[in-house]
Amino acid sequence: MNKTTKMVIVLTVITGLSGAILSSWDSVTKPKIEYHKLQALKAAISDVLPSYDYYEEKDIDGKTIYIGKLNDSTQPTGIAFKVDGSGFQGNLSIMVGVDPSFTSITGIKVLEQIETPGLGTKIVEDPSNKTNPFWFPEQFVGVIFSPQINVVKNSIPQNSNEIQAISGATISSKAVVRILNEDIVTIKELYQSVN
Amino acid sequence: MNLLLLFISAAIVNNFVLTYFLGICPFVGVSKRVSSAVSMGLAVMFVMTITAAVTWLIYHLLLVPYHIEILEYVSFILVIASLVQLVEMFIKKVSKPLYDTLGIYLPLITTNCAILGLALFSVLRDYSFVESLVFGIGAGAGFTLALVIMAGIREELELSNIPKPFRGAGITMIVAGSLALAFMGFAGLISM
Amino acid sequence: MAKTPTPLSKEFLKGLWNENPILRMLLGLCPTLAVTNSAINGLSMGLATTFALLCSSILISLLRKIIPSQVRIAGYIVIIATFVTVADKFLAAYLPEISKELGPYVPLIVVNCIILGRQEAFSSKNGVGRSIIDALGMGSGFILVLLVLGSIRELFGSATIFNLQILGDWFNPWMIMILPPGAFLTLGLLIGLGNWLNERKVKI
Repeated sequence: MNKTTKMVIVLTVITGLSGAILSSWDSVTKPKIEYHKLQALKAAISDVLPSYDYYEEKDIDGKTIYIGKLNDSTQPTGIAFKVDGSGFQGNLSIMVGVDPSFTSITGIKVLEQIETPGLGTKIVEDPSNKTNPFWFPEQFVGVIFSPQINVVKNSIPQNSNEIQAISGATISSKAVVRILNEDIVTIKELYQSVN
Repeated sequence: MNLLLLFISAAIVNNFVLTYFLGICPFVGVSKRVSSAVSMGLAVMFVMTITAAVTWLIYHLLLVPYHIEILEYVSFILVIASLVQLVEMFIKKVSKPLYDTLGIYLPLITTNCAILGLALFSVLRDYSFVESLVFGIGAGAGFTLALVIMAGIREELELSNIPKPFRGAGITMIVAGSLALAFMGFAGLISM
Repeated sequence: MAKTPTPLSKEFLKGLWNENPILRMLLGLCPTLAVTNSAINGLSMGLATTFALLCSSILISLLRKIIPSQVRIAGYIVIIATFVTVADKFLAAYLPEISKELGPYVPLIVVNCIILGRQEAFSSKNGVGRSIIDALGMGSGFILVLLVLGSIRELFGSATIFNLQILGDWFNPWMIMILPPGAFLTLGLLIGLGNWLNERKVKI
């Protein structure tokens, strides 16, 4: 058999085998992987919205939002959506929940971050873990975001649109607030333009 | 994401070698002389940029529409292997001395984790075509930077008396540790 | 004259010390540094890599007389990438927490020089039985170093090993150990230690 022909045949067979193994493995693992993703999404949404019976996923102009609804009512309990931006070290991805009239925050959850371990990561750390005075995301519940959220340092927030930065994680705290200030307004406008 | 910030992040703040540990093998192997470090760095940067473009196209125009994303790793590595082969032939034709300087390290670019890593990150972070391209150039620049700095330091170290067990890889790792520490200072540059 | 074949035990043990892929041959450094911030991560990565190495070695050894030399690298790469994809999707589907921790470093096993290196140096020239032993030996050596490195970094960086508190509250963790500089420094010291121990062994 001609050398080149042999090369082509062998490579084709190997690639074909690879394709066969992978596509069957894919059909086994894909459903499970999707399931895990869905579970994580559900957990994030339920963390930031007040109680709902189910949520409805909607796409407005490329942005996905999740509307929490009750079985016996057409009124949503809250709207959840993801926002992204630059933190101190890298990307910050946050799930935000707001009330249906888009006036106050019902909760936030930091989904992804690569902040400095021990310092910036305090924004996601559990306060029962020694050095944090409070759990950062909890502060955002009930916070009014217009005209914008302000950050205060080393003092208790006095106004309903203020939150306190965690000492040692000031920049990460400010980054979270900056991202919220920038993106919530955008989603608000999109939502209210179709409702 | 702002393209300039993306570039700075890839090149300095989240340097591929010193933060993500990609491209360590050539980092240890080729960083003995500044001149070879520069050549290697530029070759890698070239391959990275083209890889960023080609893998993006393959992923978004071929794998996704036909739902065969499972073939991501196989197709990416084949693309990289072919690209490196092409670049090798290209350099051999255009500049034989450069080809000889790089020697065995040229085909080894295929197994450089930085190149595959670049393609994978780009998919993971859902970059657009342009973002992918800028990311590739930035990553390559960062790799070259780390390599050249390391080569400069190692050239100086040749005149020092290093304990025998640490000569070669040992001291290189320790120096890399100090470099990584220094680069950590760049964090915060991107959150403007 | 035929060379006396190396005893199988030696074939296995060489991967653990003399030809330890990380400390002596300096291969596979990328994942070694990246995912050894804890013992469990190091162990998982070691197992995933050994899986890919073992399967690739077996298949390539079986096919060694069929694959033409000119396309062998391309062939090896496709086979390796296939098994790595299998391992990666397995983790994502059945062990999602670990998959998240190891992240993109699992697919990077594809370009882990250890695997391609062993195919070139061994599996393409030896029978299946010996190739299995070689793969297991190299894999064990790799896992060993990852475990040691992971444990040291976790111990000094978080005061735990395998998430069990080892050092008490009196110890203030060295955050640097779970960050990149700590990885480089610890590996450098381990390589130096390995070299030093090897010198002494030779003298004895």
